[in-house]
Amino acid sequence: MTSLLKKLTIPILLVVSLVFFLNIIPASAISPNQGTEEYCLSCHGEQDLTMTFKDGESTSITISKEMLDHSIHSSKGIECVACHQTIQKYPHPAQNFASKRELSIAYYEACKACHSGNYEKAKDSIHASIMDAGNLATAICTDCHGAHDISAAMEPKSKISATCGKCHDEILATYTKSVHGAALINEGNQDVPVCTDCHGVHNIVDPRTVDFRVQSPEMCAKCHSDPELMGKYGLSSDVYSIYKTSWHGVDVSVYKAKWPTIWHDSAVCTDCHGIHDIGKTSDPNSMVSPQNLLSTCQKCHPGAGPNWTGAWTGHNKISLERTPILFYVDAFYSSFSPFVLWVCVIYVLLQIIRQLFDRVRRNLP
Amino acid sequence: MTIDNNVSDIIESQKTYKRFGIGQRLEHYILMLSSTVLLLTGLPQKYRDFSWSQILLSTPERLEFIRLIHHISAIALTLLAVYHFGKAIIKLFQKKLSGDMLITWQDVLDAFGMMKFLLFIKKEKPKFGKFNFEQKVTYWVVAIGFVLMILSGFIIWFPVGFTQWFPGGAVPAAKLMHSSEAIAAAFFILIWHIYHVHIERLNLSIFTGKLTEKEMKEYHKKEYDRVEHSVKPKSGAK
Repeated sequence: MTSLLKKLTIPILLVVSLVFFLNIIPASAISPNQGTEEYCLSCHGEQDLTMTFKDGESTSITISKEMLDHSIHSSKGIECVACHQTIQKYPHPAQNFASKRELSIAYYEACKACHSGNYEKAKDSIHASIMDAGNLATAICTDCHGAHDISAAMEPKSKISATCGKCHDEILATYTKSVHGAALINEGNQDVPVCTDCHGVHNIVDPRTVDFRVQSPEMCAKCHSDPELMGKYGLSSDVYSIYKTSWHGVDVSVYKAKWPTIWHDSAVCTDCHGIHDIGKTSDPNSMVSPQNLLSTCQKCHPGAGPNWTGAWTGHNKISLERTPILFYVDAFYSSFSPFVLWVCVIYVLLQIIRQLFDRVRRNLP
Repeated sequence: MTIDNNVSDIIESQKTYKRFGIGQRLEHYILMLSSTVLLLTGLPQKYRDFSWSQILLSTPERLEFIRLIHHISAIALTLLAVYHFGKAIIKLFQKKLSGDMLITWQDVLDAFGMMKFLLFIKKEKPKFGKFNFEQKVTYWVVAIGFVLMILSGFIIWFPVGFTQWFPGGAVPAAKLMHSSEAIAAAFFILIWHIYHVHIERLNLSIFTGKLTEKEMKEYHKKEYDRVEHSVKPKSGAK
């Protein structure tokens, strides 16, 4: 027996140590590697975790698995530490932020590591310049995109106006009532412009500048000169090309080309149609409805009387029904006047021929 | 023409016939000057989309300046038109209007006669009176054209005032008219008038106020006969 035990001692020890060894492997799976999402959630998944800042404000630092499930980063396997670059392991280094806002501002720098293009664009935006001027409330990446629940942009489109509306609430309220906003928010129409279509995305500039003003008609034209898109809603796609030949449009194009820094008052689209409150021309509340058109004109042409609006061709081509006087003048100068000139040209040419003929004949021996 | 002929011209042209008074010659100077300035200051405004115009109108101040010159010339032209047609109306009421410029049936016949000459059907040109039909066409096209230019010009200069009384639809029509008529009138002057007074023959009577006997015989035979021999032109004669 003894000799048998002796013989078996080594195999038994091997088996026991193997069992012991194998036991360790599941133990290490329970305690995941530091820096992984799972590891972080092992603490931050707990309810009611808070962090207190120097200014006394406290914020929840509980991160739920459900929230991260909505994050486009988490689903692509990007770990917490990709953004929380100063916290790579537990225990964490001390976090000395004066306020929650200061923490957010410090953290959004992390976006630059992957999204440097959009980060740099945002640095040129009006938000960044307001931030530089000392207003910490202005939008940073996470204010619009969220932090732990970042989802793909533009899905759905109405999320954009809702996002901007978090700060620009009055404009959102106006936009919601406009022809564009109502279609987006009430009908889910994806053709209409949201904030970013006109203002840009990351490099949002001050819309009150001369530069923004002179390029604004082209912005409207992106959609309003697209025959397919306009045809869908029974709208004319000639409005921009006709505007460009108008008194206002020529002025604006010259200022844009030559004097883009000089303010001018010649009307751009928004001067007559409104900005966030653009309505259908048939909407009695719109600035260009027949009831309101004169008062809209009077903003720039103060003495204009009731006949004045008759001068407005409404971005329409010349037609007998709409603009009879213009129609007849156009007909005169496109048919009779060239006819008269051609008769003159032919007459003079005949005179030249006859004169040359007579001169040659006179000089013949 | 040879040099000898020119010398004989000078010798022959001792006798001259009065054609335009000093007032009429001054009118032509003002018309020529103001319409040239109006055209030159108007074209850059019409073609503001073009780079040559934007080179000329390099600043908003220059645009304002060119408009000021345009408006000053427009006032000069308007005063001229008021004087010219006012004088004609007064003379009409006094029954002193000569009627030399009025288009008559004879002018239509002359035009046909001239066409026959130009098409080698007839060997001789028709004999013309004081103003031939070509000159009458010049006068009336320019007269009507400038009235249209003045009316449309004032409408687009004072659109707000105009629409206090008149329909707004006339404003865009006036804008189109002003810009189209200007080009049509400019081409007409260049083709028709410049040919007839500079190329067909050099006719400086509007500056000198007179025609030579040779010119009278050759181009205004009926008038020459009327003045020289007190022979009344036969009505309906070719």
